[in-house]
Amino acid sequence: MADLISYIVRKLLLAIPVVLLATFIVFLMLHLTQGDPALALVPPRHTIADVEEVREKYGLNDPLYTQYGLFLWRLLHGDMGTSVSTFTSVSGLVFQKLPRTLELMAIGLTISYSIGIPLGILSALRQNSVADRGVMVFTLVAYAMPSFWLGILLMLLFAVKLHWLPLGGAVGGFASIILPTVTLGLGNSALTTRMMRSSMLEVMRMDYITQLRSRGLPEREVIFKHGLKNAILPVITVIGLDIGWFVGGAVVVETIFSWPGIGRLVYESILKDDFPVVQGCILILAMFVVAGNLIADILYAIADPRVRLG
Amino acid sequence: MMFHKRLNNLMISWKSSGGFKQTALEIVSRGSRNPMVALGTSIIIVMVALALLAPFLPIADPTLSVIDVEERLLPPSGRHWFGTDNVGQDVFSRVIWGTRVSLTVASLAILFSLIIGVTLGLTAGYFGGVADYIIAGTIDLFWTFPAFLLALAFAAALGPSLMNVILAISVSYWAGFGRLMRGQALAVRERQFIEASRALGAKSWRIMFTHVLPNCIAPLTVWASVGVADAITIESSLSFLGAGTPPSTPSWGNMLNLGMQYIGEAWWVVTFPGVILLITVLGFNLLGDGLRDVLDPRMKGMRR
Repeated sequence: MADLISYIVRKLLLAIPVVLLATFIVFLMLHLTQGDPALALVPPRHTIADVEEVREKYGLNDPLYTQYGLFLWRLLHGDMGTSVSTFTSVSGLVFQKLPRTLELMAIGLTISYSIGIPLGILSALRQNSVADRGVMVFTLVAYAMPSFWLGILLMLLFAVKLHWLPLGGAVGGFASIILPTVTLGLGNSALTTRMMRSSMLEVMRMDYITQLRSRGLPEREVIFKHGLKNAILPVITVIGLDIGWFVGGAVVVETIFSWPGIGRLVYESILKDDFPVVQGCILILAMFVVAGNLIADILYAIADPRVRLG
Repeated sequence: MMFHKRLNNLMISWKSSGGFKQTALEIVSRGSRNPMVALGTSIIIVMVALALLAPFLPIADPTLSVIDVEERLLPPSGRHWFGTDNVGQDVFSRVIWGTRVSLTVASLAILFSLIIGVTLGLTAGYFGGVADYIIAGTIDLFWTFPAFLLALAFAAALGPSLMNVILAISVSYWAGFGRLMRGQALAVRERQFIEASRALGAKSWRIMFTHVLPNCIAPLTVWASVGVADAITIESSLSFLGAGTPPSTPSWGNMLNLGMQYIGEAWWVVTFPGVILLITVLGFNLLGDGLRDVLDPRMKGMRR
């Protein structure tokens, strides 16, 4: 237990530079914009006094490192600036949308695993069969399919042609969450299926499985009780990578289905040139990724004690 | 003159060390026996041919923006194979011209990523020490982040233009190549023939380019192929979000974005650009996956 705690602490410390990089990139975004950075932080209709005020507030006349320090200091106090289109605080806006995106990701992840894990097992147990080939073709296509186009096609079929599900938004209750989450889940399930398949293939070739079989255990028990237990670990522990994938997917999927989450907020803010909000959203999404990687590392250490010592 | 001499040196060492040429021939001969590679390559050849020939094909030039109300949102027919869009432009010709944009952006972005990644990875892996510590740390930091999110951050800040999309993708994608290259350089560095050529007095850069780099060509080819597929997806997603290719240039992503507004009345505008996009991405993925299988079965599942 002690080694697990020290492992987690070590991983937390290692996450600090990643968090700093994220904040630095988001900070740098401001200086990559064309022209005067102060202009990106004031509303479209502004006076010269407004610009000067912003310049003063964000220390834009100071050297870059001072500005970055100031940026971090404000971040520590939960201040991500003010939206230039709604004039509300960015952090308020972002945290208001956050639960919606979390909801989408959680259900999407569940769908992805409930498709990917059974398909992967099936495909591994029937290696080189027609079913296996079929599953492999599915993963190839699903992996190559950009999530925004998959979303558009599902919308075209189920909302426009068949009228079974709403076109978008979140007002339709459960019905309106189906299409966005299925889009996210299906796209990611290709990766889960492939991992599950290769992991299962590897485990089923191991000596202990042969030994269990030779002892006369029923095949069902060998597979599900002993094989699956080991084979599923690498699949579950890549949840960190999955979250990384979902972060990108959420932006486009929320945009297509007008889902009121952070992804949609990024899109709208890019269109409206609401720069502070774009910065805030990207920072929050980056934190998702950091958290996802941490969770993956910790899960891995719980599952495989050897990792803790490494 | 200097340049020629160096080129000459490289040519000789190709023969002597089984370097670039032999590796390339090996890749081609092994790859040609794999059906996935064959299918992927055929798709890519067709797409590249379409992209190159677009100006000479008997199709409307979509860069001349003619608004034709009569021809607005027409379904697919003999005259307009993929139908027409909201301003009466032929979707087929826009899709073909979109191939140019997607392939150009993706291949340039991957070329830049490759250059950054190979240079940094090679330096870190071969020299080790402080350089390795700093570079490897940077590579890991960039590797942790999903490329799409990084590219979105850069593209949103830089504003929509073709060059900016290429920059945004390169900056967010190079870490994979760096990681791969560093690992390979670390492994190759310890092999005996490196020690032998060092004993013979070969300079570091020479060893890197004539011995370490050719040994990494196989995995780099696999990654570059998959990378182009990823870059095409990132470019179209960025354009779809309005942060990529500017609306004036026909690209699959912004065609789909525009089509979304007419999804109720014109299914063809959102369908055909996606089909071609999917086929192209599939082509590069097939090539990459197939090459990986024939070149090194152990690399299976390494891709994120």
